[in-house]
Amino acid sequence: MTALHILLERDATPDRLAHAWSSSGSFALLPDRLPISRSAIDAALRLIPPDWHRDHYVLLTSGSTGHPKFVLGSKDRTMALADVLHRVQVLEDVREAVVALPLMYSYAFVNQFIWSLRFGRGLRLTPRLADPMALVGALSKARDAMLCLTGAQVPMLLRAAADMTFPGVTRLNFAGGRFPQELLPTLSERFPHAAIFNNYGCAEALPRLTCRPAAAASESADIGWPLPGVELRSAGDSSLEFRSPFGAVGLIEAGTFRLVEPTDWLPTGDLGVPGDAGRWRLLGRRGEVFKRYGEKVSIAALLASVLQAWPGEAAFHLEHDRSGEIAHVLTIAPIPTREEARAILGALRLGYPRAAWPVRIVGAAALPRLPNGKVDLAALPNLGDGIEVWKQHL
Amino acid sequence: MDNRSRLQTLFEDILLLTDGEFRFDLRREDVATWDSLAVVAIATGVEETFGYHMSEEEAVGIQSVPDLMRLLEVRGISFAE
Repeated sequence: MTALHILLERDATPDRLAHAWSSSGSFALLPDRLPISRSAIDAALRLIPPDWHRDHYVLLTSGSTGHPKFVLGSKDRTMALADVLHRVQVLEDVREAVVALPLMYSYAFVNQFIWSLRFGRGLRLTPRLADPMALVGALSKARDAMLCLTGAQVPMLLRAAADMTFPGVTRLNFAGGRFPQELLPTLSERFPHAAIFNNYGCAEALPRLTCRPAAAASESADIGWPLPGVELRSAGDSSLEFRSPFGAVGLIEAGTFRLVEPTDWLPTGDLGVPGDAGRWRLLGRRGEVFKRYGEKVSIAALLASVLQAWPGEAAFHLEHDRSGEIAHVLTIAPIPTREEARAILGALRLGYPRAAWPVRIVGAAALPRLPNGKVDLAALPNLGDGIEVWKQHL
Repeated sequence: MDNRSRLQTLFEDILLLTDGEFRFDLRREDVATWDSLAVVAIATGVEETFGYHMSEEEAVGIQSVPDLMRLLEVRGISFAE
């Protein structure tokens, strides 16, 4: 057994979470479906030195490597981040947080649960997109509310909402993936009184590194400015690294506990470069920027271009072509007409050399999704209902 | 679909031509997307569509749609209207 109190997601009611947070002992908030055995969890948590058995908490994340990683946070640091978010997201007039994500995600945990606790605001839980109509109902009843979403949730939410608008939502935050910049006009229509923010971070940052008003940029790759106290740097291969006074104080991965020193630079798992006037720009995830036939290919940039020409869903996965070159396959949903596919291809032709075009385009009724709403990239190569709508013959 | 339509679709797909951009007298210098990788794609596409495997010299020598039609017609693949 570990000395830490373990709270599983199904038991993590706001009251229990608040109790765990306000008590002096450290606790771990874990998903119901553990990716590793309970004994492995206990063994990992036992690696945390006694000094961190008070006033800290642990979240479990897949991290940038795709392997389970425990992230040890400081309650004081996270409260300080809630203060910063309150200022940069201008939350003083917000009365409640409508929760559409699991509270065990660091994004919802900090930006909604801890914020509501810190500032004495309401917390309205919803069945999330497991019951889209219930979420729509909660949004329609919201008053002066903050909603936190991932970009992947937007198509499902818009479908469920039909032509409804949500004037009671006054702050709309995005994080946890690509910001759907191309949907900003639609979002502004549906949330007519909402200030919309694109937030960026990672689990190891617990979780926030940058924030920008959505309208302050025209492309999703622009992640805006670092939060006060946060430092970013682009390493030699454009790996985006950070130091943050709010970030994790320790990491447990592959059976090892690592203390994060204030001077340590941590990888975000993304590639990024500085932009104009102190802003930062993402190039893509590590592994999603590669050379193909000598041309640099950025999956993030391609996806942004595709979504300018295609109103549905889109995702890429990687494979190798006949020449052994790394190649990218575009899967879109729903299945496009030939004209729609040609519109996507026309956008690619205008903006990119042939090597950057996908090796083929597959149409599907819907993209496979993980429980958190993100596209299940591992399932893309084997879609049962996938139809090849175009290929490069390479 | 006849061979002319199949050839048109093949070029439209490989060169990402827009409607009306394909012509049966199209030449390589007419379209920027007819690059060196397109040469490889045309050779592969011809084999998949018409069953003829071009040699490297033949593939590199194709400088226009009429060049390709002549090459294939010699192999018995007709593009008669």
